[in-house]
Amino acid sequence: MTLSFRRGEFHVQRQDPPWKVVRAFGLPDAGRLVHLHNVSGGILGGDRLALDVEVEAGAAQITTAGATRLYRHRSGGADSSQCATFSVGDGATLEYLPDPVIPYAASRYTQRTEIRLGRGATLLWWEVFAPGRLAAGERFAFELLRVQTSVHAAGRPVFLEDYALEPARRDLASPVRMLGYSHMASLCAVQEGRPPEFWRGLERRLNQIAAEGSLPGCTVWGASALASDGLLVRGLATSGRLVYGPLAEFWRAARLAITGVDCPLPRKTY
Amino acid sequence: MIGGTYLSEVAVLRLMHLADSALPIGSTAHSFGLETLADEMTLVPENVEPFLRVYLQEGGRQEAAYVRRAWMGGDWQSLSDELGARKAARTAREASLKLGRRFAELVNGMAGRRLIEANLHYSIAFGAAGAALGVPIDAAAQAYLHQSMSGLISACQRLMPLGQAAAARILWNLKPAIIEASHAEEAACFNPYLELASMRHGSLETRLFIS
Repeated sequence: MTLSFRRGEFHVQRQDPPWKVVRAFGLPDAGRLVHLHNVSGGILGGDRLALDVEVEAGAAQITTAGATRLYRHRSGGADSSQCATFSVGDGATLEYLPDPVIPYAASRYTQRTEIRLGRGATLLWWEVFAPGRLAAGERFAFELLRVQTSVHAAGRPVFLEDYALEPARRDLASPVRMLGYSHMASLCAVQEGRPPEFWRGLERRLNQIAAEGSLPGCTVWGASALASDGLLVRGLATSGRLVYGPLAEFWRAARLAITGVDCPLPRKTY
Repeated sequence: MIGGTYLSEVAVLRLMHLADSALPIGSTAHSFGLETLADEMTLVPENVEPFLRVYLQEGGRQEAAYVRRAWMGGDWQSLSDELGARKAARTAREASLKLGRRFAELVNGMAGRRLIEANLHYSIAFGAAGAALGVPIDAAAQAYLHQSMSGLISACQRLMPLGQAAAARILWNLKPAIIEASHAEEAACFNPYLELASMRHGSLETRLFIS
């Protein structure tokens, strides 16, 4: 799927199954909100999905119509993958707020996300990983979850992440990894060119929210200024229900501080 | 002989010198998040060794990969910027940069010439120094991880009732895991709870360490 946003305009350059975008909705700050649908209900074993988004000017808010379900790997088949690239032009804004990724038992999946920001461009991006279908008794029953993420601003590396989870081979319960928590959330806020003092101030503000929202044994949050141009909020929780309330609060506070504009979240239940 | 490669006598002594925990670069002031874990009793004497084994599989492998990349040359500053973008927790990232700067100053001062750049993360400065001083790549990565483990164990001794003999035994037992991690080529790392411990370090009521 290839999408492009220009000031006030939205174009679907290309869409192939299972991706589907129906239409864009207006936002209070003249941006456009788009829901990504996966009409097959999830990512099947061997699927190789590609998403390319260009936000040339203006603001784009992109979310999904539901969780990204990673189905069981087919024996002898290729791993499934999703490769998403986002290009955000000078002064433009991208918000990418997908629903959680749920890796089903025996799934094997690689997710690559590459975000490139121009001068003065803004990014608000979150990501949530669940441990599987908890209601079906699945908890870290997937085979492989590989995540590779890169965020660059004006050519500088701002946030790079690369990890591979293989719960059968490496215990996730270590205090290095996830302790006893099951869900992991990240929120990355970037605006190219903002000075370090701005991010240190926002870090202090968001760490106050983190301290108020943390309940050790249930959920724990922290915020940190990145090496340049941005900030990362990280959270771990024992339930998906404990994730989106704090995550939305961090998003709203960061958005307001960076853009000066408040905005409702995509309409859904968090 | 290390990793099938002979070190000159002077290279052996220089490696021992640079990997000595007494090297005056300020590493004893940093716990890299362990103080938070000890404060909340997540890290206790009984689980220090398994904790560090996992640490080596994640952060240890990442640092070893960058020691190796730096040893092989290229643009050290770009490598350092890349590693900085992989370190999301500010206090741990700043500690790594601070140690790298002091290490570079010390090595350049001792060598009497500018061997390495001054603004690099510690693992990159160590790898660059290893190459400049004739230390083989495996030995440089292993020595870096060994001093890193030694420093973290020393931090644990100050944070919890961990005796000298127990600390020495942990470091002794970790050597095979250090060697395994030292061969990492990929910089993959998954350590969110430790990262959160670094992010929350500033909120501890009393702190013994800077990070």
